Amino acid sequence: MDAKIEGRGLSKTYISARTGDQVEALRDISFRIMPNEFVSIVGPSGCGKSTLLSLVAGFASPTTGEVLADGVAITGPDPRRGVMFQEYALFPWRTVLGNVEFGPLARGAGVEARRALAQRYIEMVGLAGFEGRYPHELSGGMRQRCALARLLANEPEVWLMDEPLAAVDLQTRNILQDELLRLWGDAGDPASRRAVMFVTHGIDEAVYLSDRVIVLGRRPGQIKDVVAINLPRPRRAVRNTAAAGKLIDHIWSLIRDEAAQAIVEETS
Amino acid sequence: MSGVQRAANSLPVVRPASQAWKRYPRRCEFVLALAVIVGVWQVVSVAVHNQTLVPPPLQVLDAWISLSGAELPGDILASLVHLGAGYGLGIATGLALALLAARFLFFEAVIDPVVEILRPISAIAWIPIAILMFGIGRGVPVFLIFYAAIFPVFINTLAGIRQVDPHLIQAAQMLGASRRLIVTHVVLPAALPIILAGARLSLGVAWMAMVAGELTGADSGLGWRIFWYQEFFAMDKVMAVILTIGVLGYILDTLIRWLQARITRWSPDDSETGR
Amino acid sequence: MTDAQRRWLPVPVLATVLVLWELAVRQSGQFMLYPYPSGVLAAAVRTIGDGSLLAATSGSLYRVLLGFVIGGMVGVPLGVLMGSLQSVNRAMSPVIDSLRSIAPIAWIPMAMLWLGIRGKAALFIVAYAAFFPFVVNTIQAVRLVDRNLVNAARALGAGRALLARAVILPSSLPVILTGARISLAFAWGAIIAAELAMGIKVSAGGSAAVGLGQLMVSTLYIRRDVNGLVLYMIVVGVISLLIDVAMRRLQRHLTPWR
Repeated sequence: MDAKIEGRGLSKTYISARTGDQVEALRDISFRIMPNEFVSIVGPSGCGKSTLLSLVAGFASPTTGEVLADGVAITGPDPRRGVMFQEYALFPWRTVLGNVEFGPLARGAGVEARRALAQRYIEMVGLAGFEGRYPHELSGGMRQRCALARLLANEPEVWLMDEPLAAVDLQTRNILQDELLRLWGDAGDPASRRAVMFVTHGIDEAVYLSDRVIVLGRRPGQIKDVVAINLPRPRRAVRNTAAAGKLIDHIWSLIRDEAAQAIVEETS
Repeated sequence: MSGVQRAANSLPVVRPASQAWKRYPRRCEFVLALAVIVGVWQVVSVAVHNQTLVPPPLQVLDAWISLSGAELPGDILASLVHLGAGYGLGIATGLALALLAARFLFFEAVIDPVVEILRPISAIAWIPIAILMFGIGRGVPVFLIFYAAIFPVFINTLAGIRQVDPHLIQAAQMLGASRRLIVTHVVLPAALPIILAGARLSLGVAWMAMVAGELTGADSGLGWRIFWYQEFFAMDKVMAVILTIGVLGYILDTLIRWLQARITRWSPDDSETGR
Repeated sequence: MTDAQRRWLPVPVLATVLVLWELAVRQSGQFMLYPYPSGVLAAAVRTIGDGSLLAATSGSLYRVLLGFVIGGMVGVPLGVLMGSLQSVNRAMSPVIDSLRSIAPIAWIPMAMLWLGIRGKAALFIVAYAAFFPFVVNTIQAVRLVDRNLVNAARALGAGRALLARAVILPSSLPVILTGARISLAFAWGAIIAAELAMGIKVSAGGSAAVGLGQLMVSTLYIRRDVNGLVLYMIVVGVISLLIDVAMRRLQRHLTPWR
């Protein structure tokens, strides 16, 4: 089977706006994400995992190497690859409905069509009844659901998620993880699933959600290991099993030293 | 102002002791303050006992009532015409220049130093030149208002466009929005609160420029009328016109604040739309 | 365009403007009607040489500083009261708002009547203009004091005096200083307006040129020197720029933690 997303020898160097120095964010990264596969990227802060995601999204281009979608080089953002941002990036001047229907609007759908489409996804994420609210009137979890509905309403083939659950509390996070899996098709037909690239700093979250976890090291960001998560789906049944715990321990042992180093560097 | 939110994290807000006090409408305190001020004014005018030097409040009210049946409406209209022409032109120019500067780097590099050089020269400093250029008449106040109004709108519009959250633009891009759609549906709405704040600042300085321009270089309008009555030492009428300027300015500011609140209803608080 | 290019671009732009301006006026031959760069320069040399520019500028500046201090001495205490007591605020804010909408310059006939046509009437206008930014910003400053900081200080055992000195003053100082900066800028605009209006009203024949505004009026109506007018405009602009820079320096110096 052909990869949905493929990175070949990616590196990214940029000039720090603060110090003016050259910073090597990523070095020689190659990976593949299959069409129905859920892949997480984990690593200590400063490992460039968000940078990697923005390369796939098309917001930035690699210094060397190339990113392919369906075998074609990515040159810019594309509605076929939906992005969920860390702080949601909802349009504050548009209501829930207005946000969700923005994608269909951008692609030229008529009023009726985009209303219906938006309504369907608003209901799917459980936001029915909140269509007229502005983002600042929503809780963190609801904003997250709204961002998810906005992404889904464009019916993208690839979901790119940049620490989407980092800004909500732990309980809400657990609920949203299950929601995300449900919408992705965790319990359903594997062929209906989309390709997901999920950036997170939560190792337990990565293990719970993913088919594979790419572990990045830092300074510069490079692939330390790729861990296959061979836990059965649906995952609800295996959330706190020993098998999951072992995988979490293994990944943590890969990045523990660098994570500690990152904390020291950030505080100095 | 969002009194509720501000009050919540403000310091020694001494809350009224009884709940009953809370039910008083806020106008109550205002009327009280107004009464005190008018009272002091009355006492001073009695003590000075010179109706030219300190015309008593009732006499000013009388003058105002008689004026509002005579010259005052015409003066207000003249001033509003000056303001409308100058402010409209100024806002349009400031907005257009800022949009061009945001779009074309070279244009920004040229216009920016020009603005930085002209901005410290207040509209007031242009009065003599304006009198030379336009002669005494409508030209002076309109030009001064125009000049004064450009800068706050220009600067705020440019800043507003600059500080649009790049994630919002990326979000629109990944949803497939075209460049035009991003400008009309993301950049402008995101910058709107700051642009409106600029328009409000512009209105404030334009109002001052209007009065100064009419006082020194016009033959109509409220500012001009002040000096006209002073010629006859009709200080009660002078006071009546001064107070009219204050009330009208207050009404205009309230209007633009209302507009701000209406247009940016989505904004979580008004701190960014305030000054 | 690189940064260096951007930084230096204003130089050729301005040089071109100045040269074209000079050439245009020379071409027209109307030296009495239009100002031109070399004429402005000559006016500068002349008025600096005979001391008239310095005398007028320092006269205006003196009244601006005095009016600024008066405006602050009235404005800051009132702002503290309005910021800390809800009822005072509700009573006074409509009064302040409507008084604020009266352009300071509109008071000029009353001020001239009360205080005479020389310096003092202008001083009143300046103090009036400086007063409002002080009030508005002080109210904000007092309100923006972080309750958590106050509670933290209380929990550490701070009494009222220490609280005021160590928490409330430093928290509110930056905003008050911003108000002071706006006040001084307003005051500078107001003095020019007041002196212009007085100069026009009291056509004092050039002899009573106590400030820049009066100097401008006599230059306009008596000497009809367009180059002089442009020079004084530039002086007004340069001084507001200097005021702004000085106030920002002061702000940084007094509140280094910002």
